[in-house]
Amino acid sequence: MHRDPDWPSRLYRWALRAYPRHVRHQFEAGMLDAFTQDLAQVRPRGPVSLAGFLVVTCVQAIWFGLVERLPKPRPVLLTLRDAFRSLRSARLVSLVAVGSLALGIGANAALFSILNGLVFKPLPVREPSRLALLEPGAWSNPVWEEIRDHHASQTDRVFAWSVERFDLSAHGEMDVVDGIYASGSLFDVLGVPAALGRTLGPRDDMFGGGVDGPVVVLGHDFWQRRFGGALDIVGRTLTIERRPFTIVGVLPRTFFGPDVGRVADVVLPLGAAAFVEQRRAQFRTASTWLNIIMRLRPGESLDSTAEALRAVQPQIRLTTQPPDRSPARHLADPFVLVSAENGRSTLRNRYEQPLTIILAVAGIVLVIACANLANLLLARAAARRAEFSLRLALGASRARIAGHLLFESLLLATAGALLGMLGAAWGSALLVRQISTPTVPVAIDLAMDVRVVGFAILAGLVTALLFGLGPAIGLSRVPPTDMLKSSGRGVVGHQRGVVRNVFLAAQVSLSLVLVVSAGLFLRTLVSLTSVSLGFDPDRLLVAAMNVQRSDVPPERRAELCDRLRAAVVSVPGVSTAAVSYMTPLTMRGWNGPVEVPGRPRLSDRERLAWVNVLSPGWFSTYGIRVVRGRDIADADRRGGERVALVNEAFANRFFGGEDPVGRQVVGGTASDHSHTVIGVVTDVVYRSQRVGVPPTMYVPWAQLDDVFPTFSITVRTAASPTAQLTRAIGDALLREDGAVAFTIRDLKDQHRATLSQERLIAMLSGFFGVLAMLLAALGLYGVTRYTVSRRRAEIGVRLALGATRRMVTQLVLRRVAVPIVGGIAIGVVLSLWASRFVGTLLFGLEPRDPATLIGASAVLLGLGLLSGWLPARRAARIDPVAVLRE
Amino acid sequence: MELSPPLKPAIFHILLALAEGDKHGYAVMLAVRQLSGGRIPLQTGSFYRHLGKLIDAELVMTGKGRPADDDPRRGAYYRLTPRGRDVLAAEKQRLRDLITGVPMRPSRKESR
Repeated sequence: MHRDPDWPSRLYRWALRAYPRHVRHQFEAGMLDAFTQDLAQVRPRGPVSLAGFLVVTCVQAIWFGLVERLPKPRPVLLTLRDAFRSLRSARLVSLVAVGSLALGIGANAALFSILNGLVFKPLPVREPSRLALLEPGAWSNPVWEEIRDHHASQTDRVFAWSVERFDLSAHGEMDVVDGIYASGSLFDVLGVPAALGRTLGPRDDMFGGGVDGPVVVLGHDFWQRRFGGALDIVGRTLTIERRPFTIVGVLPRTFFGPDVGRVADVVLPLGAAAFVEQRRAQFRTASTWLNIIMRLRPGESLDSTAEALRAVQPQIRLTTQPPDRSPARHLADPFVLVSAENGRSTLRNRYEQPLTIILAVAGIVLVIACANLANLLLARAAARRAEFSLRLALGASRARIAGHLLFESLLLATAGALLGMLGAAWGSALLVRQISTPTVPVAIDLAMDVRVVGFAILAGLVTALLFGLGPAIGLSRVPPTDMLKSSGRGVVGHQRGVVRNVFLAAQVSLSLVLVVSAGLFLRTLVSLTSVSLGFDPDRLLVAAMNVQRSDVPPERRAELCDRLRAAVVSVPGVSTAAVSYMTPLTMRGWNGPVEVPGRPRLSDRERLAWVNVLSPGWFSTYGIRVVRGRDIADADRRGGERVALVNEAFANRFFGGEDPVGRQVVGGTASDHSHTVIGVVTDVVYRSQRVGVPPTMYVPWAQLDDVFPTFSITVRTAASPTAQLTRAIGDALLREDGAVAFTIRDLKDQHRATLSQERLIAMLSGFFGVLAMLLAALGLYGVTRYTVSRRRAEIGVRLALGATRRMVTQLVLRRVAVPIVGGIAIGVVLSLWASRFVGTLLFGLEPRDPATLIGASAVLLGLGLLSGWLPARRAARIDPVAVLRE
Repeated sequence: MELSPPLKPAIFHILLALAEGDKHGYAVMLAVRQLSGGRIPLQTGSFYRHLGKLIDAELVMTGKGRPADDDPRRGAYYRLTPRGRDVLAAEKQRLRDLITGVPMRPSRKESR
């Protein structure tokens, strides 16, 4: 039947191949012996028995063989020790690896923990997922009271609050802290207990003070900072806005208030707003200064509750309709509820996009670092070929060697991640300090949580896989006989070179993207810095005043302003001083719709003009020229004709080139005010450089119906302002009226602060761009140098056969040029694609700015060729005689 | 890996077979099949799996010599180590105790 009577043995022999090599080596002879003996007994019993026997033995052999191949669990400590030893034997490589990983993972974790604190972290309150913020915009007190008293049944509970800054000084120099006015229900709705004493309740929230008089709850950090965490704090008195408040409790350490990005140092009941003049005025008006958060009932959605609220909206509109506002505009937009799980944050809107972009940038840097490490480890793995062939020859399984390599990578990544986390804690705090300015302090909860730690672990794992898998796969293909061959002779194969080139090209292209974006952000910062302010910010001091607690009655405040201004001017070293309601570059502003009789009506948006209120001499203090007409004069007082100056942008928009002087302007300060334009001034930046110069009108301070209790006195000093001069100005102010409060700042600092976001982005992207470029250059250098060292013998032979050193240099450089040029080409395409994400952050240039693209490409090309040229020169210096003798 | 009483029947029988003297693989298999009266139909694959474990646990070692007249196609000879003898003795004692019932350990929990 069969020509070869031994076919079952051959079948069995084939099945035995399922066993790993070392098992076969040990037992194959015995197994075959046993098989033959059994076969001899089974065969005579007939074909059925034979078939059964063969099936059982062969299936068993294949099954057990494969099971043997599974990696046996090895004591972790042993594996750890092995990995640790081999890492220690290559100390430099390990240090470079851990260092660059720490940098990469640390940068990512730092940015992520900021993003986490700002965007992802839920409020540390009870069931934050059921909180909903009432949108759009903010609400007036009448609306809040209407909702609280008549419509709160639409939801579980509801509270309102307002973001404030409070002055804690007794007199003189202001001592400003962040705080909130909270409705009595805030703590109850959020479910936040007091860490000490009690929180606020409805009985504290009454107009002008509750049953216990004016009370305040302190933030934990503030309590520690100001009172050293004194345990007998409850019952003490704290002066807020010059009024004594009784401290009734301290907030828990984790709770900063409903706003993310700022810390409430003090929490006052909403009713206490009655003590502060401006807020008291707003209690009965349509002024919107409150935010409202509701707690949804279990099982109810944002939509269904919003629906219920919209149903009662007409009713709320009717009862809260302010007399001085057109009914069409009062609460015109339908109520919307958005999730308040992560709190409310204006900072979030401003920084979410830049942070995400920088996080992406840092992620790319990490990828570049990984590619570098992969190349480094590939090179090192190649150097360890002998070691691994020896292991294979001695019977180690390929899986175990690959596992060993992966374990090494994992160890490196873990060390890098741990170091990175340490750095991240420090780095993220540093970054937050960078975006914090004296006028807008920023505080983000950066405490590590599950998300940050998870992020770091994930980053570590992904990086370990990224840079560890390549060498592991490559190495497990090494034939065991490899060690027997002497390495170094002959032309090096191209196969592995392709992988390296792909890595290098990827690095170059990614770093080009980063360099381009860094270039774009840097140029944005430069063009913003060079935006003409319209005035010279040097030698300008601004005293932000608050005269609310002065004994001077409001109706005589205009005189007080004059006296304070005069007091400042009398200080030696002060050239001029002027009073205004708004200060340029503070991001604050006042605007209102304007109409010009006899001119076509503009759209609602275009009709908006910005307003400032000034004393005479303001323009000359700032160095703003009056190009037509006249400046404000002392004679422009109440009762006289209302006058205004406008800037050139205003003249262009509202008068379209006609001469505005002598014409009427309606609106701006109030809808029923009509001003006669008496002059035109040069354009000046109003809120910030980015917003640029809006149409602006300036009206005299002395013609205001109500003089505000807060204003600024801008001082032009003769020489650069000193701390001594600042003190002298403060003393002069206090001599005039001991009850005024003020803060004196250099306008140049303010100027710097307005660009903090742009500066931060430019700084970070510049840093990462340079880092990426250096990493890529390092990668190019390392790989080229490695290739050169592998090709020593070949180059030596070439030189011996008559190749010139120039030819050798070119040979090496041609090889390097491929990944560089390829990488740059890919990088340009990538940059063009990625430019769409940064467009809104740029200023003064297009996202696809050709100059930046070309410049970045040139820089990378130069740096790349340099890092290839260094090893190339080395190659050209090889002594052929020495090489041939080796 | 530790192998200790109670032993699987196949393991016990392999040790028992080797206690008689050094044997090559197939001889051990045959001895097990005979000793167990065919209740343990030891196949080559399973036998060598058990043998591998016994060698790893150092109860059995590969013997050095083999008879001069031996068939060269046969695999290695195996021998019980002193430790293997101890384990076998312990298992024998355990089984003896079970049968004679001398030190009664009635609790199920304990026997687990």
